[in-house]
Amino acid sequence: MRLAWTLLGLVLLSGCQGLRLQPLMGVNTRLSTPGDDRSPSMARQGVVWIAPGPAGQHQVRWFDLASGMGGPLPGLNRPDAQPISVSVDAKGSRIALVRSLDGRTELLLYNRNLASVRPLMLVPAGVPARVALSADGQQLAVQVSRGGRWEVEVMRVP
Amino acid sequence: MRRALLLVLLLLAGCSQRYSAPGLGDQEDPALSGNGRLLVSVVDRGGRRSLRLVERSTGRELPLPGLRQGQPHRSPSLSWTGRYLAFIRQRGTRPEAVLLDRLSGRLQPLALPNDRLPERLSLAPDGQQLAVQVLRRGQLDLELFRLPGLEPDLPAGAPLP
Repeated sequence: MRLAWTLLGLVLLSGCQGLRLQPLMGVNTRLSTPGDDRSPSMARQGVVWIAPGPAGQHQVRWFDLASGMGGPLPGLNRPDAQPISVSVDAKGSRIALVRSLDGRTELLLYNRNLASVRPLMLVPAGVPARVALSADGQQLAVQVSRGGRWEVEVMRVP
Repeated sequence: MRRALLLVLLLLAGCSQRYSAPGLGDQEDPALSGNGRLLVSVVDRGGRRSLRLVERSTGRELPLPGLRQGQPHRSPSLSWTGRYLAFIRQRGTRPEAVLLDRLSGRLQPLALPNDRLPERLSLAPDGQQLAVQVLRRGQLDLELFRLPGLEPDLPAGAPLP
């Protein structure tokens, strides 16, 4: 009888603990940087995030889980820009970015295969904050400030 | 010239959709399912910041069982079909990462190693991995985790792993 109660207690306790996450040990040590890392977004085989750069400014980074290495993002990071929010599609080919540059906050779409940056316009005008791409890379949701209120809108990005 | 510019602006405006509803305050922190069918965001409902899940084609709000408590909710993230929804809720004075399986209705806390507090989450499209911005010893770090024992959430027609 006592054994049954003990077993029941253990089962209940394990249920309370929930799902125990398993750290990707080899990867996490490579992602670790001195300074604050923010705004993670997972692709199928990689992750983008905002990390401290070598000169103290922040920059967007891409880490490929298949190769276990970081990858370049030519043309995306600028020393005079401050990234705010970043999101990637499942293939890791499209990256949406909100950044502050010259006192303005802008919304961009970056194509990693072409190394091209495309600005996305908000109509009516607003100040973007957080951005999220759908995994297929065809839709983009963005949090926008307009008239002192936060709104969410979704746009197609063909 | 001005008319052409106006036309372009109108066409661009037609390309985006907004998701406000009566009685809702600020809407923040959006996330989409794999093909954008579902939109989740954090909305202010009379001072309580709660998750709101919307089917975009109809604008219908979908039920999220078991999520009436733990406000403020933060940083929602959806898997490909929207079966899994990861987010951060408040448990007493501490933030807690949780995962809702919308198929079974099961809500599970995601146990991080001891000295870490979750700040932001991103679920992999298949629901098998989670990226977490954690606060640890006063610093924000990025850490990746595997979610053991979860059935993969794949797009329709995708080969099984």
